[in-house]
Amino acid sequence: MATTLLIANRGEIAVRVIRACREMGIGAVAVYSDCDRNAMHVRMADRAVHIGPSPASESYLRIDAIVDAAKRTGASMVHPGYGFLAENEDFAQACLDAGLTFVGPRPDAIARMGSKTRAREVAVEAGVPVVPGTGAPFDADVSDAVIARAAEAIGFPLVVKAVSGGGGKGMRTVTAAADLVSAVRTARSEALSAFGDAAVYLERRLTAPRHIEIQLLADEHGTVVPFVERECSIQRRHQKVVEESPSTVLDERTRHAMADCAAKVARAVGYTNAGTIEFLYDADGKFYFLEMNTRLQVEHPVTEAVTGVDLVQWQIRIARGERLTVSPERALTPRAHAIECRIYAEDPDQGFLPSPGLVRALATPSGPGIRDDRGVAPGFDIPVFYDSMIAKLIVSGDTRADAIARLGRALDEYRVAGVKTTLPFFRWLIRQAEFVEGRFNTQYLDRVLVERKGLRFVEARPADDDDAAVAAALAAWFDAHHAAADAPVPSTGAWRRAGRLDALR
Amino acid sequence: MTFEVDTNGRVRAVVIEAEGAASPSGGRFKIQLTGDADRVRSVVDCRRTELGFSLVFDDGRVVDVAATATGPGEWLLQFPHVDVTAAVDRRRRERAPSGGAAAAGEQRIKAPMPGRIVRVLVKAGDDVAVRQGLVVVEAMKMENELASPKAGRVKEVAVTEGMSVEGGRLLVVIE
Repeated sequence: MATTLLIANRGEIAVRVIRACREMGIGAVAVYSDCDRNAMHVRMADRAVHIGPSPASESYLRIDAIVDAAKRTGASMVHPGYGFLAENEDFAQACLDAGLTFVGPRPDAIARMGSKTRAREVAVEAGVPVVPGTGAPFDADVSDAVIARAAEAIGFPLVVKAVSGGGGKGMRTVTAAADLVSAVRTARSEALSAFGDAAVYLERRLTAPRHIEIQLLADEHGTVVPFVERECSIQRRHQKVVEESPSTVLDERTRHAMADCAAKVARAVGYTNAGTIEFLYDADGKFYFLEMNTRLQVEHPVTEAVTGVDLVQWQIRIARGERLTVSPERALTPRAHAIECRIYAEDPDQGFLPSPGLVRALATPSGPGIRDDRGVAPGFDIPVFYDSMIAKLIVSGDTRADAIARLGRALDEYRVAGVKTTLPFFRWLIRQAEFVEGRFNTQYLDRVLVERKGLRFVEARPADDDDAAVAAALAAWFDAHHAAADAPVPSTGAWRRAGRLDALR
Repeated sequence: MTFEVDTNGRVRAVVIEAEGAASPSGGRFKIQLTGDADRVRSVVDCRRTELGFSLVFDDGRVVDVAATATGPGEWLLQFPHVDVTAAVDRRRRERAPSGGAAAAGEQRIKAPMPGRIVRVLVKAGDDVAVRQGLVVVEAMKMENELASPKAGRVKEVAVTEGMSVEGGRLLVVIE
């Protein structure tokens, strides 16, 4: 009987896993919430199971409903994607208890590396350098005074981090002692609602670090293969926005040193399947273990583009007990330069305010060196319940300059009709000297965004206004003369009329 | 037909005249644009696409634009390099503006987006400093603390913790 795999996720990553299943002759089961009935991942799956109402806590985060869906559809494997339950050891355990193969690491590895403070301990024991900070976490009941004393010892600026955090949630930078209490409060509360754990710890903030990470695969027979690094320093509020590989700053020797450290951490916990070790790379060329992501990363296609290795297929093969046969040399040798942009339904000209709504039509780039990993099809109403990613655009070229030129071309071909997207922001970003010359760190983007003071990323020229006036008049003309045929559906007005954004901080 | 179109605050009259019979899929149009000082005349071959329109002007210039109705008479026009919003015949549509303008100095803090009130940090009568947190709203999985735009006193708190709010909903009034 053919294998069937259930994807406990939605959006582009569910689509990505379905594609791997198709290529491997594996049946794909999607799960969906109320608002996702018409979502692309449901339309593409072989079978689909409704698992609850739209809020994630009542659907994509419900372990019982997902395990039940796997049983009902005869799935033998479960792929968690990223986000939602991907780093929840209880979910991994529940899958195992139900006799399902979890496509990911063992629950104990998730638990150990999922706690940022315990992960730091693992790195220290493995002889891998870590950023100075508090050793033990502060539970929810630790007083402000105790935290303040620890903060003084580390010094400012520092970062308050949720032990169970990720993706910038439950994380706040503090530059002065006066802001510590409110930062801890927000970080705790955000972490409690997102991860169910209010424990936080403190870490020194390096002055101008780059975020560089090492993807790795590890099989169940002791083989660990680290891959060429990904550079993810272009971040907005700790969220990666652009990722590329290789990094412009790592030399061959440092790449191998970092890869060795990553493999050491993975071996120290007997890690299996796909994972990523994140490092901070300081201006002086030193690097420090930051954390481990015990799952597939959003930016995995960048690595696939430069090495030609299909990471998702390997995840499934490793979970089936196969031996990892990717050669270490191939994994560490980039054969192209790749860049990924995360395209969100957000209005960059209004402080990246989420802009969900109906995607009326799409034009997507194609041609040489383009990959469009998308989870949204025309006619889909991007819900307010989840993150508003539309697609990841990945381009590759022989050199970084080739890749940037190709990215510019592809961004102009990409059109999402109906909602505001971050496309104009990327068109601006790739023309900035700092980006083109690779002169950036994790603070670069937040700094220039503050400096721009809300200036529009792309200003309409008078000629654009003329064209827009003509197009709007033509649209009105067709409305008046041929209204019924295919009148566009107005999207919700609430988002456009957003209130005082400058009151947001 | 004549339309009054407002783009980025520039208001122009656009006269559109079909050359021959235009079908729902498109047609040729004489266009006359009358604005501040400029005056543009041209003929455009217009085809409707799944996104909006493919336009070929009489000088051969090609414009591919996505057009989405975002409200009565309001359009979002998306070109390859820039998005432009346009309002058609706004003055004809608009009723008399509603009254009730905020008293001088009074600030009405509204929800910038639909979300859930996670915490209310102030109560009516509290004195607040500029940039002091008022309400924490969770939206799109992130928590945002809405801060007071000015120093003053809380006149009214219009929401409670746990409440779901629509975008634009009044949260707090600072006087």
